[in-house]
Amino acid sequence: MKYRISAPAAAILLSVCLAAFAQEAGAPPGTKESVARDLDEVARVATVMVDGDVCQQIMTRRALGFMFAANPKDPWAASDNFDVNDEPYIQTKKTLIRLSRLLPYPCDVNLWMPFADRPGKIQVLIRNVNEWSQFWTWGILVQDIPPEMKRVLETGRRETVTRKPGLISVLAPVHNSLGESVALVEVVGLEPGGTPPDVHARLGNESYGPAGLR
Amino acid sequence: MHEDRQKRVNGNWPMLAGFLVLLWRNAPGAELTVLPEYLRPDPFGGVVAVDNLPGRQVEPISFDEKHPLELKGARGAYVSFHLVVEIPDGADYRLAFTLDDKSGKLEADLFREWFHFTESDRNYYPDALVPVSLPYASRMPDPENHIAKQTAQPFWVDIWIPQDAQPGICRGQASLETGKEHRTLPFALNVLPAVVPAEDVVTVDHNSYGSSWLADYYPGTKVPSAASFRLMHLYHGIFYDHRGAYHQLGYGHGGKVIPEFAPALTGSGRSRRIANWDLYDRQYGPLLDGSAFKDSRRGPRPIPFAYLPINPEWPASFLWWGEPGYEAEFVSVVSEMERHFREKGWTGTRFEMFFNHKKRYKAFPWDGDETRFPKDDKYFIEYGRLLKKALPPDSPVKFDFRIDASWDMERQFKSLAGIINFWVCGGSMFSWYDDAPRMLKERGDIVWIYGGPPPVTMVSSAITEHPLRVWLYGIDGWVHWQTVDPGNDPWFHFSGGGTVLAYPGARFGIHGPIPSLRLKIQRNCLQDLALLDSLKSRRKAGDLKTEVARRYNGTTPAQWWTPRPALADTPPYDWTNNSIDEATKAAEHPRPNLDARAWEGVHRFVLELAMEEK
Repeated sequence: MKYRISAPAAAILLSVCLAAFAQEAGAPPGTKESVARDLDEVARVATVMVDGDVCQQIMTRRALGFMFAANPKDPWAASDNFDVNDEPYIQTKKTLIRLSRLLPYPCDVNLWMPFADRPGKIQVLIRNVNEWSQFWTWGILVQDIPPEMKRVLETGRRETVTRKPGLISVLAPVHNSLGESVALVEVVGLEPGGTPPDVHARLGNESYGPAGLR
Repeated sequence: MHEDRQKRVNGNWPMLAGFLVLLWRNAPGAELTVLPEYLRPDPFGGVVAVDNLPGRQVEPISFDEKHPLELKGARGAYVSFHLVVEIPDGADYRLAFTLDDKSGKLEADLFREWFHFTESDRNYYPDALVPVSLPYASRMPDPENHIAKQTAQPFWVDIWIPQDAQPGICRGQASLETGKEHRTLPFALNVLPAVVPAEDVVTVDHNSYGSSWLADYYPGTKVPSAASFRLMHLYHGIFYDHRGAYHQLGYGHGGKVIPEFAPALTGSGRSRRIANWDLYDRQYGPLLDGSAFKDSRRGPRPIPFAYLPINPEWPASFLWWGEPGYEAEFVSVVSEMERHFREKGWTGTRFEMFFNHKKRYKAFPWDGDETRFPKDDKYFIEYGRLLKKALPPDSPVKFDFRIDASWDMERQFKSLAGIINFWVCGGSMFSWYDDAPRMLKERGDIVWIYGGPPPVTMVSSAITEHPLRVWLYGIDGWVHWQTVDPGNDPWFHFSGGGTVLAYPGARFGIHGPIPSLRLKIQRNCLQDLALLDSLKSRRKAGDLKTEVARRYNGTTPAQWWTPRPALADTPPYDWTNNSIDEATKAAEHPRPNLDARAWEGVHRFVLELAMEEK
């Protein structure tokens, strides 16, 4: 498999290599403000580094067709048919992982994508290892676009969000080659001293159960 | 009243011959009565509606010195029943239970049965079993359970007959004191020469996720810590004591491992290695060498199965997927794990490489769990190659590549042959493929099927259906999908228990899990299956299966399979849940509804065969 890496990546890669080992350290040092600044810097770089055209190729056409198909007899149709094209997915996920490694402490960089034909709806399309997000409800495939994300997509300006206790997110736009804001990243980390949220499956809700169990 | 009840008793219970000898006694006030294990008592002196036998109203039965309760059981096994304290007008009471066993080998455990108010049908069901010390003193209505007009408090009785017990009759009695009234319930236990094998013929697995829930169920418990490790060992222990296995998945859908479920790593690329085994060894060491179960009646034994923490993000970073660094990191760390397990002598456990993620959870581009699209096979093939490269061919440590399959299992049985050796399949779809057990077993694969635990609102025998299905199919095991999540308020607003078979004991001052009534019935079913399977020398296996299916619910073994529907010839990625249901319903053989005594018929058959053994 071959993956494209754009030229400005070189400088970032150097810092990735330096930061990679320090990531195990845990909660960030400093203040809430300094962490927000760090995340904002990663978000700024993300806008440059994440390729919006590639992001637009991630979902398969078939899966998009099921995304909003309402079938009362099969409420899991959208999630059971959720599918992605490996190459653009992997290329983008690797870029997101590299971005997260710019910092010497853990953070996640999530990719969010709106739907061209469904204004007002958005999905998290790529999450990362810590499973942190201030916007994603566990297990949700598609959700209403939060006002903060709507503003970022409309204005192209980054926005810092602290709506969930203990987490700081910076949202930044992702552009395609036509200059359109086609996605956004959520760069999310813990506040200094913050406790990692429990992100594991909400068990006991049968909608999250295995298909073979239904 | 006396005559009426005598008629009810005689009319309702003749099918219990062999378990009960019936007698009536005048008892205007308090009573001490008995129900067989498959008839769950209600709080008002009856039996829960769903367990009532067709066309019959069943009530608990009394016994006296001339006509004691007669029980029988094989060695290496439990004999169980419900002992019911009935006090119509409410009062303090004191319950005692004695075994006149001069050898001191037989042991009795009593559990107070907790009545859960179940929201779905607004009824009470007994399920959580609270261990009690004897003599036990309390009051009717039960001060904790808060049931208005409660008149009956049942206790689950387990009598343990060890393998080296002397065959013969052991007598004992239960006694009840309330005010000036004193009631006794004598019994005679016939200990049979037959011995239930320690090894099970069917593995019933109990699945769970992570460990953070321990802090919720046991407030003040830090996770991980010595206290959480102890709790985790107790959870393993309760399932082991009930002839089951227990799994905990130690990573999230994004690949983050929980610290005590994986060794700590350091380095990157060629320098990737294990830095520290401390937390892993403290949690898993006593489970993998069996010492966590040193006090079990079953004796210490390593857990039979354990998930590995391997996932697309661990031990190799997904950043390197498709690059040389991924293989370097994976092979280096997994090789170290094999060496560590070998040096520790942890060779009694099967370690499973299992992928739990799905695309829909948005962290990886392929379905590791319940694969739906054939293109995802390439990831399994690559991980199979990596695992093989990481392990020495002659390792005594057992590593398996497990897949949980549903939609696409039939195709994957072939496309992943030689790569996957441990299949955990959705039970409903697996029933379409009656040729699968032979094909998979002939190549040495492990085959389990899965589903959820039956909720308490189902008939008591429902918990025996899945182990029996596994035995009839000739495969290896059953997985209850989730078994330690009691829901938000199991005690007074119960969601039904479809995700719990062991409850947190904290409410009762017990720092560990307590069993459920369903877990007890399941255990007794498993010990019967183990004994039954050991008797294959007496009858052909096919004949045994035919007789057991008939006695269970009047079926044949073939009726437990669903003829392969036409849907199976279409691509699984085009199936819907609805089309699967419709195809299964249209094709499956009609089977009578289970009634509560379904397993009792099998149990009696097993004991009959066992008594023929010389």
